[in-house]
Amino acid sequence: MSAGHEAKISAAGVSVFYGEKQALFDVSIDIPARQVMAFIGPSGCGKSTFLRCINRMNDTIDICRVTGTIAIDGADIYDPKIDPVLLRARVGMVFQKPNPFPKSIYDNIAYGPRIHGVAKAGSQMDEIVETSLRRAGLWNEVKDRLREPGTGLSGGQQQRLCIARAIAVNPDVILMDEPCSALDPIATAKVEELIDELRERYTIVIVTHSMQQAARVSQKAAFFHLGNLIEVDDTERMFTNPRDQRTQDYITGRFG
Amino acid sequence: MSATSLLAIVLILSLIGYFWGRASAAGLKRGGQGMHSIPAYHGYFIALSCGIPSFLLVLIWLATQNTVIDTLLIAGLPAHITDGVETSRMSLILSEIKSIAGGRIFGTPDPALIAAAERYNALRGTASLAMVVSALAVAIAAMSYARSRVSPEFRARNSVDGILRWILIVCSILAILTTLGIILSLVIESMAFFSRVPVFEFLFGMEWSPQIAMRADQVASSGAFGAVPVFWGTIFISAIAMFVALPVGLFSAIYLVEYADKRVRSFVKPLLEILAGIPTIVYGFFAILTVAPFIRDLGTSMGLSVASNSALAAGGVMGIMLIPFISSFADDAISAVPQSMRDGAYALGATKAETVRQVLLPAALPGIVGGVLLAVSRAIGETMIVVMAAGLMAKLTANPLEGVTTVTVQIVTLLIGDTEFDSPKTLAAFGLGLVLFITTLALNIVALQVVKRYRERYE
Repeated sequence: MSAGHEAKISAAGVSVFYGEKQALFDVSIDIPARQVMAFIGPSGCGKSTFLRCINRMNDTIDICRVTGTIAIDGADIYDPKIDPVLLRARVGMVFQKPNPFPKSIYDNIAYGPRIHGVAKAGSQMDEIVETSLRRAGLWNEVKDRLREPGTGLSGGQQQRLCIARAIAVNPDVILMDEPCSALDPIATAKVEELIDELRERYTIVIVTHSMQQAARVSQKAAFFHLGNLIEVDDTERMFTNPRDQRTQDYITGRFG
Repeated sequence: MSATSLLAIVLILSLIGYFWGRASAAGLKRGGQGMHSIPAYHGYFIALSCGIPSFLLVLIWLATQNTVIDTLLIAGLPAHITDGVETSRMSLILSEIKSIAGGRIFGTPDPALIAAAERYNALRGTASLAMVVSALAVAIAAMSYARSRVSPEFRARNSVDGILRWILIVCSILAILTTLGIILSLVIESMAFFSRVPVFEFLFGMEWSPQIAMRADQVASSGAFGAVPVFWGTIFISAIAMFVALPVGLFSAIYLVEYADKRVRSFVKPLLEILAGIPTIVYGFFAILTVAPFIRDLGTSMGLSVASNSALAAGGVMGIMLIPFISSFADDAISAVPQSMRDGAYALGATKAETVRQVLLPAALPGIVGGVLLAVSRAIGETMIVVMAAGLMAKLTANPLEGVTTVTVQIVTLLIGDTEFDSPKTLAAFGLGLVLFITTLALNIVALQVVKRYRERYE
């Protein structure tokens, strides 16, 4: 743990089972606040599964079972007293494929604040919508067509709309599950730029298949392999001087 | 020889053709020839070429034979019978000739008719013999022509494909032509009705009393054809049905898709589908024997006057019938909303109910609306339940405890029993049928358009 960054999220002994099959084995990790942590590893290594534990999205899958503890700001999110619905307002998520609701751009952003009663309709809501779109770097592109459907935007704009939608409920943590895998290189560059700006305010965890992307946007990196967490380190050090042979092999492209 | 045994023989000829073609092609192949198509295709080609023309010939022959024979008969009748006779009288003469020919003789018929009957029998015999001969000739000629084409270069495989394509085209054209025929017969009869009763009076008249007095002293027999009360009855009962079916069907679909776990779903869904398989006449029993008395007793105990065939009973049971219909459409529509929409909403901290209400239902709305429109058109056209459970009196009332009548009930009552097809009372049924047809057709077209647009969005 580098100095000046206390752990925002701290997981201990997390295992995940889909029915009989164990997908994640005893993962313990500290994720520092206001930095970007990248989860890397070959397909099926459990990185997305672990990401979805952090906002309890796995609860929506019937056969999924999670053991161990994950604490955010010291409080266990799997404590029965924690309401997953409120947890998800604090831990936003952006998905692999942009998934704007079939509503207007404005309503896409306003959806979260509305259901959580953060703001009433009117100027207060307008302000949240504008701030969120500005932070997502989308305001100038869409300010004249807020009433048009969000599904009409380009893929990259849709993904930034989804990031703005997540920001609108004012979360502490934003989880991103391969947010650029469905985007072209230019849109990807914009989203990466955005991620870099967002880390001033938010703790970001990003799952990515692209080594270059991990190197560009993250300060910390965690390498997963076959459901195990192999190593966690500063991104720079992991990419130049990995401690584990498997990490070395993956980074240099020998498998995965 | 009967047409059935003739067709059987043609079928056997086709089979022979198949084996013949396959064997000759196989012979060529064994002789070391590189064949374009495998032997079985040569067999299929011969079988189809032999069977289809001959089959079509028999069909066309059977369809036209009677008309041709009738024309010949009439042409051969002596002048004293045919002179100045109308078409309707002529068909009576023809049927008399045919019954004489069949050996059923009443009284002492005109000797000319007896001669005609003998000629009729002779004509029939010739016709049937000619049919057999020509059908077999066509079959054998086609078979030998097809056999002559068996060669290494012949693309039997492609030719069979082409023949099959034509068979498919003919089948679909038949379906379309049948529909056109139905529309045409409906329109023609309705024209006859509207030539007696003005369209305007029919569509906007407020009084419906189709019985026409046979004697001057009969009561309540003015013969009024204002269909508004009848249309109102259909609309009213359909509305009650949708009032029952829409919430129950929609909510059960939401439960099954979003809340129920796999075991419950696999148990409840087939149960709902059983509801869709119950014959409507059984719903009719249910309405008249169980629901109607229940509503009447309940109403009476509350001091209300309830007709024994209340609109509420008929509409309510019709609603139950429509539940699986709406439920299965809504189920499909909600299931078709991509999982990513749910994920997006849950990840923002929406509860299940919020996700359903604000994200899934709006996204699934076009599909649900399409299903509801189809259900409405079913409700409007539904006959058996209302014939059993709704009233016969056309009444303009908004009280669901009174009896109303519907378009379909009126059509059934107008056409039951001895009917004269030139009285406006009977023809009114076709007028009603035409309105019903146009309404449900319009609803179906709109519904299919809505569903189609929705499909374009997600596939």
